[in-house]
Amino acid sequence: MQILKESSMMAFNKTVEKGPKWVIDTLKNKGLTGRGGAGFPTGTKWEMVFNEKETEKYVVCNADEGEPGTFKDRMIIEKNPKTLIEGIMIACHVITAKKAFIYLRGEYECLKENLQKTIDEVNTSDIEIQIFQGAGAYVCGDETAILRSIEGYRGHPSLKPPFPTVQGLFEKPTIINNVETLTNVPLALMMDDWDPKLKLFSLSGKVKHPGVYELKEGTPLSKLIKLGDGEPKAIHFGCFGGCLAYEQFKDIPLTPEEVLKADCFLGSCAVIVTDKKTSIIDVATNIAKFYEFESCGKCTPCREGTMRVLAILENIAMGQANSADIDTLLELAIVIRDTSFCGLGQTATNHVINAIKYFREEFEERLCKSE
Amino acid sequence: MQIRVDGKIIEVAKDKTLLISLKNLGYKIPSICYQEGLKPEGRCRLCVVEIAGKLVTTCNTYPKEGMEITTNNDRVKVARKVNSELLMSEHVQTCSIENQDHELCQIIQDLGIRESRFNPKRKWKVDLGASVIRDNNKCINCGRCVQVCATIQATYAIDFAGRGHKERVAPYSDHELNDVACIKCGQCIAACPVGAISEREHIHEVIEVLKDSKKHVVVQTAPSIRAALGEEFSMPAGTLVTGKMVAALRKCGFDKIFDTNLGADLTIMEEASEFLNRVKKGGPFPMITTCCPAWIKYMEHFYHDLLPNMSSCKSPHEMLGILANTYYAKKINKPRDDIIVVSIMPCTAKKFEITRPELTSDVDFVLTTREVAKLIRHFCIDFKNLNDEKFDPALGISTGAGAIFGASGGVMEAALRTAYELGTGKELTKVEFDQLRGPKGIKEGTVNVNGIDIKFAAANGLANARELLKNKDKYHFIEIMACPGGCIAGGGQPLPVNEEIIAKRMEAIYEEDRLLPLRKSHENPIVKKIYKDYLDHPLSKKAEMILHTYYTPRSEF
Repeated sequence: MQILKESSMMAFNKTVEKGPKWVIDTLKNKGLTGRGGAGFPTGTKWEMVFNEKETEKYVVCNADEGEPGTFKDRMIIEKNPKTLIEGIMIACHVITAKKAFIYLRGEYECLKENLQKTIDEVNTSDIEIQIFQGAGAYVCGDETAILRSIEGYRGHPSLKPPFPTVQGLFEKPTIINNVETLTNVPLALMMDDWDPKLKLFSLSGKVKHPGVYELKEGTPLSKLIKLGDGEPKAIHFGCFGGCLAYEQFKDIPLTPEEVLKADCFLGSCAVIVTDKKTSIIDVATNIAKFYEFESCGKCTPCREGTMRVLAILENIAMGQANSADIDTLLELAIVIRDTSFCGLGQTATNHVINAIKYFREEFEERLCKSE
Repeated sequence: MQIRVDGKIIEVAKDKTLLISLKNLGYKIPSICYQEGLKPEGRCRLCVVEIAGKLVTTCNTYPKEGMEITTNNDRVKVARKVNSELLMSEHVQTCSIENQDHELCQIIQDLGIRESRFNPKRKWKVDLGASVIRDNNKCINCGRCVQVCATIQATYAIDFAGRGHKERVAPYSDHELNDVACIKCGQCIAACPVGAISEREHIHEVIEVLKDSKKHVVVQTAPSIRAALGEEFSMPAGTLVTGKMVAALRKCGFDKIFDTNLGADLTIMEEASEFLNRVKKGGPFPMITTCCPAWIKYMEHFYHDLLPNMSSCKSPHEMLGILANTYYAKKINKPRDDIIVVSIMPCTAKKFEITRPELTSDVDFVLTTREVAKLIRHFCIDFKNLNDEKFDPALGISTGAGAIFGASGGVMEAALRTAYELGTGKELTKVEFDQLRGPKGIKEGTVNVNGIDIKFAAANGLANARELLKNKDKYHFIEIMACPGGCIAGGGQPLPVNEEIIAKRMEAIYEEDRLLPLRKSHENPIVKKIYKDYLDHPLSKKAEMILHTYYTPRSEF
C-alpha cells in the first residue's frame, strides 16, 4: 500500500532545505486534496495560512475518526505513525507554527501510548506536538468544534466565516488536516511515482473480508464489493453519506462526483454493506439512533428533528405507522438537511431520504395493517 | 449595494445582515434566537430564505453584490413551518397557542399552524428560585437568556448543559439558581421569548395581608414604575401614570401610598454626605453607589476588593421601609408588627434583597411592575379610566432628584446636585448633568467642588461595569446599575422591552424631574422634617443605625 510507505524524515529534511514555497507548490502540482471528506486542495489551504501575517499559528491533526464504518485513520496511526508525525512537522515548518495538536478520538485510547512514543522518537525539532483526546463526541469531527474543544469550551460548531485558516485555534490562523492527508504529505513530497488518486476505503458490514482497501479513485463499486466478497442490497457511505440501491448503481465509479449523482456523499470513503436479509428500516433506525445521540443540541432541526426522525422510524419498524407518517418523515428529513447549522445535521438524514427514495416499498410493507 | 429580493431590485446596506435589512424594508421574517445588538448565534433556524438554491439563515448572512433572494417560496415555508413545529413541541404543552405574550406563539400564529405534529416528550424539574423561576418545560433552547447573562451582564450564571435533545439551560452543574452566582437581575426574563423564566410571584401573599383588617398595609412605588406601568394596560410607552397608579393602589385597599422617590431623596442625603466625608478624609475612592441590589450581589461574588469602596447606604426602598416601620409607626401609634410594607419595584433582585438577613425587618413584600398590573386586574380596576390621585403626604413628597433614580446616571446626577450645594454652599446654576444622560453604557464627567475636580462615572449593564472598573482609580464617584438603561429596563418591567421603549421611558422620567418644583433632595420638606424630628442630621448615630448596612463576600460559583 502506498500509504504505508515511509519517508524516514527525508521529506522533512528537504522541507527545511528548500523552504515553505517549495512544499506548497509541490503539493499543489501533485494534486493532494483533503481526505477528511470535503476534498479541499491541501496546498491551497496551507498557502492561505502561510500568507496570514499573524506570528502565532497552529497545526491541528484531525484524528477524531468518529464516522461509523470509517477506520482508515486508525490503521495509519497503528501502522505508519512516523510518516504522520513527519507530515505534521512539515506543516508546522511551512507556516512556522511552534505547536501542533493531534485531536485523537476519545475511543482511540489504545492508540495513545504508541503514538506518544513515536512522537518522542521522531520529533527532534523544537516543535511541540501534543495529543489532545476528545471525549468522544461525533460533532467534534467538525473542524470548528475541534477548535472549541481544544480551547476548553463545549464542542459546539461555530459560524464560518471566520474560517480556521484566518481565525482558528485561539483565534490564530490554523491548518486543520485529516490523518490520511497529513500522512500523504511526506509521501507526495518524496515519491516520484506518488499517485494522488490512491485512496483508502473502509469496507464493513455484510462482507466476508471487511477491512481497509487502497484503491484508485474511480474504481467501480462492484470491484470493491467483489474484493470484500458480499451480496449487497444497499450500500451506506458511512452514516452521513446516505445509501443507495446496489443493483441500480453497482457500476458507479467511486469518485465524489459520480457518487453524488446517486444523491450520496463519498466523504471519508466508508462503505457499509447491507445484504438482502437485513431490513433497510432497521438499518435506518439504527443510524437515526446514532444521530439522536450525537446531536450537540445547538440548532432546532438537529436537536429536535433527529429525535423525531428516530421516533417515527421506530413507529414504522413496530408496524404502528400510517402512510402520512412516511410523508412527515420525508418532509422532516429534508428540512433537517436544508436548515441545520453544521455538517452533522445537514447530513444526518441523507440515509432516510435515500432509503425512502430507493426502498419505499419496504416502508409501505411495514405500515399499520388495519388501515 | 443592490440585491434582488423576490425579483425586485432593492438597495441595502453592506454592513447590515439580511435579517435587519429585510425587516427594515417591511419583510416579516420570523426569528427567535437573534437579539438586537448581540452576535447572531444561528440556533433557531427560523429566519431562512432561499439563496442560489440553498436555504440560508438571514441573521448571520451579509448581502453580496448581485445576490438573489427568495423570501417566501414553498421550500422556505415548509422549512419555517417544520422548525417552528419542532420548537412548539418543546414549549406548548404548558401554554395556549393563542398566547400573544410569547414571541414563539405569535410566529406560529403568523405561519398559520394550528397544532404541532410532534407530541411533547420531556419533563424537566422547575427551578423555583427565591426571585427568579426557570421552567425548562417551556424552554425552547433559543439561548437568548444565556447570551444576555454572559455578554450583557458578564455573570455566566446559566449556560447549556447536556447534549442533543437532552440539552437544557441550567446553572453550573445543574444546581438551582439560588445556589449559584446568579445576581437575580432578571434580564433573562426580559430576553425570554416564551416566558420560561419569570419572577417568583408574591401577589397572593399581598392579597392575603390586604384582607387582614388588623394590618396597616403601606405600599411604595419605585421611580421607574410610573413611566412603565401604563404599557401593561396598552398605553403607549413613556406615558407617565403617577396619578392613575396611586388611585389604583388605593382602590386595591392599601392603607397608605408612599413614594420611593422620598427614599431616594434620603439616600441622596446620606450618600452625598458620606461622599463629602470621604473627600474630607481623602478616600477611599472611588465611592460606589449601592442602590442596585443586583450590582451589590455581583460585587459580593466577584469584586471582594471593592468592599471598602461601596457606600454603606441602604437602597431607597429599604430606607423608606425602615422609616415606615419606625418613624411612621410611632407617628400613627401602631406597633411595628402591624405595619406591612409592600414595595412595587421594577426589579427581581429586590425580591432577593429583602430576604437578606441584615435587611429582613424593613420591607415585607416586593412586587414587580408586571405583578402589580396583575394585582390591579385581580381587583377588576379599569386602570385607563381612573382619575389622578396623590401620594399620602406623610411619606409621599419627593423631588426631581428622586425621580431620576430610575434612569442610569440618575443617582449620580441627584447625588451631585446635593453634594455640590452641601459641599460648596453655593447654588447650582444648572441642575442637569447632560454627561450623565442618554443611552450609553458608560458615561463620565467632571465637576469642581471647592477646588477639587471630582471625576464621576456611571455604568449600566454589568459587562460595561466590568469595563469601567478596569480603570476605577481614575474616578472619585461611580454609579453602577445592573440593567442596561437603568431601572426603567429592569427585570420586573413590562414586556417587551427594546431600545426605543427604554428611550421613551427615560424621557418620561426626565420629564417628571423637569416639571417638579423641587429638584434637589436636600430641599425636600419631608426629608428636612424627618431629620429634624427623628434622625438629627445625615450620618448621625441613628441614621447610621437604620439607614446604613454592610455587605458579605460570597463565593464566585
